[in-house]
Amino acid sequence: MIEISNLTKSYNKGRIKAVDGLTLHVKPGEIFGFLGPNGAGKTTTIKMMVGLLTPDNGSISIAGIDIKENPLGAKQNIGYVPDNPDIYDRLTGMEYLNFMADVYKVPAKERKERISYLLDMFNLTDAVGDLIKSYSHGMKQKIVLTGALLHNPAVWILDEPMVGLDPKSSHLLKEFMRKHCDQGNTVFFSTHVLEVAEKLCDRIGIINKGKLIAIGTMDELRHGDQADSLENIFLELTEV
Amino acid sequence: MRTFMSLLKTNINVYFGISALKYRFTKEKKRLWEPIFILLSIIIGGGSLLILYSLLLLGIFMGGQAISHPEIVLTFAFMATQLLILVFGIFYIMSVFYFSNDMNILIPLPLRPAEVLGVKFIIILIGEYLIALPMLLPAFIIYGIGTWSNIFYWLKGIILVLMAPILPLVIASVFVILLMRFINIRKSKDLMVVLGSLLGLFLGLGVNFLTQNIPEGNEKEFFVNLIESNRGLIEAIGNKFPPSVWATLGLTSPGLQGLGYFVLFVGLSLLLLAVLLWMGNAFFYKGYIAGQEVQRRAKAISAEDMERRSSKVDSPVVALFKREWKLFMRTPIYLMNGIAGMIIAPFLMIMPFITQAEEMSEVVRLAKEPKYAPIAALISLGIMLFASSMNLIASTSISREGGTFWISKLIPVSPKDQVLAKLIHSSCLSLIALILMAVPLYFLLDISLYRLIIITFIGFLANVLINILGLIIDLLRPKLEWNDPQEAIKQNLNAFLAMLAVLLLMTILGGISVLLILKGISEFWIYGILTLIIVILSIPSFYGLLILANKKYNSLEV
Repeated sequence: MIEISNLTKSYNKGRIKAVDGLTLHVKPGEIFGFLGPNGAGKTTTIKMMVGLLTPDNGSISIAGIDIKENPLGAKQNIGYVPDNPDIYDRLTGMEYLNFMADVYKVPAKERKERISYLLDMFNLTDAVGDLIKSYSHGMKQKIVLTGALLHNPAVWILDEPMVGLDPKSSHLLKEFMRKHCDQGNTVFFSTHVLEVAEKLCDRIGIINKGKLIAIGTMDELRHGDQADSLENIFLELTEV
Repeated sequence: MRTFMSLLKTNINVYFGISALKYRFTKEKKRLWEPIFILLSIIIGGGSLLILYSLLLLGIFMGGQAISHPEIVLTFAFMATQLLILVFGIFYIMSVFYFSNDMNILIPLPLRPAEVLGVKFIIILIGEYLIALPMLLPAFIIYGIGTWSNIFYWLKGIILVLMAPILPLVIASVFVILLMRFINIRKSKDLMVVLGSLLGLFLGLGVNFLTQNIPEGNEKEFFVNLIESNRGLIEAIGNKFPPSVWATLGLTSPGLQGLGYFVLFVGLSLLLLAVLLWMGNAFFYKGYIAGQEVQRRAKAISAEDMERRSSKVDSPVVALFKREWKLFMRTPIYLMNGIAGMIIAPFLMIMPFITQAEEMSEVVRLAKEPKYAPIAALISLGIMLFASSMNLIASTSISREGGTFWISKLIPVSPKDQVLAKLIHSSCLSLIALILMAVPLYFLLDISLYRLIIITFIGFLANVLINILGLIIDLLRPKLEWNDPQEAIKQNLNAFLAMLAVLLLMTILGGISVLLILKGISEFWIYGILTLIIVILSIPSFYGLLILANKKYNSLEV
């Protein structure tokens, strides 16, 4: 579902390598957790995957479509939520959702069902007539999530999706992610909450200084030492 | 004191973007010609305004001398400056004191409210010098040289000029702080922007009205008359707001009396400043915190309403157009800057017909003559084109997206469709502006309907071309990094560059029209040739825009 090969991105005319020869493969039906210390290159990688940044080198394909060759086709298959979204403050929640549904060409019937299902799940139905300006941080996060999932994309790419969500919404989102993957789709998300990654993810990748330093299932990461927690593994691997 | 100085230094740095500027030019190595270009255009633009203003002051000075009251020029300058600062200071203070983002950081710091208030006050003061110095210095210099004043005049004058904004700013601050303490005005921040802009608009109209009334040839007599007839007014304002008179008396009265007024002015300024700081401790944070309570409707949408709202399906281009339209209409600063010109232009055009009815009736008579009707129509086209295109709607439409540009990059809509929606949006507004101009022209100049339709059509085509050029300019160098929407348009060179492009295009079209008229080419051929030129220019521009959009929407990183 997601194929990344030899992905490289540098800043300051090549002096700082934010992502350095990253190669990874996420299969259908998989929840993939993307971990790493601050500034390791998680967000840069994600932004390249959704077309916000242009890679210096390497290729990305989403649902079998190369993002460089056919950006619009690839984007149609992505549902993306950034870590700290700036959205149209002066639209109402409903106007924003309709806008997203229009640009992703969601048919009327499906749109109605998805909107009411997602709003209900995130408990946003009462607020959807208000300007987004008046929303709290968590509500903004939820309206962006709703907008990103309206077109039922095969691949969800979420940057720190639990941050700002209340426990109930966070729980529902995790269930929703599982359900989505059980239908043969893919979720790729970054997080700092290691417990969530440990419990939820089928596979985990750890990035440090732009390089993928570990990838695998929890068992594979433990190398047979069943008592080892993800926290210990993470700290060992990312130690300078 | 050390914390205060450090707070002041940091705030000046943040507010005037000093570190950000340094970073841009040393680390990011951005184009250095931009600020130089901006500075140059400000010097040229501001300089010419300053010369006009100085001539007005010179007129007042000489008029005053004729009735042996040369100091009237000082009273006028001090009064005008202080009144202007008082009125506009209220909006400036509101935004810096209460609407700026840094309050959330400052309130939790172990600082006294008076310190924060003092720092913000100094920042506003620095900003106001940009208005006060150009307004006061010419009057100060004209009087000083004109009356051969001594060294004490110049010394006292420099202090008074520097202190002049303090008094009105303190009064405005006290007013704002009290207002904020008792009224939750934060809710109506948008209303404030509209009120401020309207005030500016009316002031502009007023000045225009005044200058149109200055008869040519006998300016001196006019100024003497103006002063004679307005002395009562100046004195009346002076009575209500004596400090501006004290400043004049402090400068022009001889000996101890002058010194007394000087001390009075300076003393009162400092005293009131102290009162303000004391008030700051008592009221400043309370008002801010009270204003923080956000109000939300939280009215649930009924099931049917939900059904209705979510069942309307639009094509992506229409959806993008609607987004563009709503965001533009709902952001007061965009609305005021984008369409104020459109609304003010018809008024400016009607005004001479009221103030100079006699001369204009001659113009109307000529315009109606069959011989001159084509020329009148072409001139009308020029006026309509100018009024409808001197805006920044297209030339800031990428910049206005700012931090939300990621959405445009994310959605599966081709860059071609995205700029097309923007072109439709700006051209719709252009069409409205054209019609707003066409209607008064129809009634005032009695242009025949078919001519009006033709020139409106040509004007619309030209506007489409201008909007394409504006979009190209904004795509080439969009300003996406901003915190406040007004930075996207007011501190955006693209709007200025696009206006230059408009002037260039109008010069070309105007030149060709004059040439064709002189050659005796018939009216309809001229319309045809103009249309052809615009279309010929538009086609490659449009394709250039699409190619550029494709390139830039991919390469711009957010």
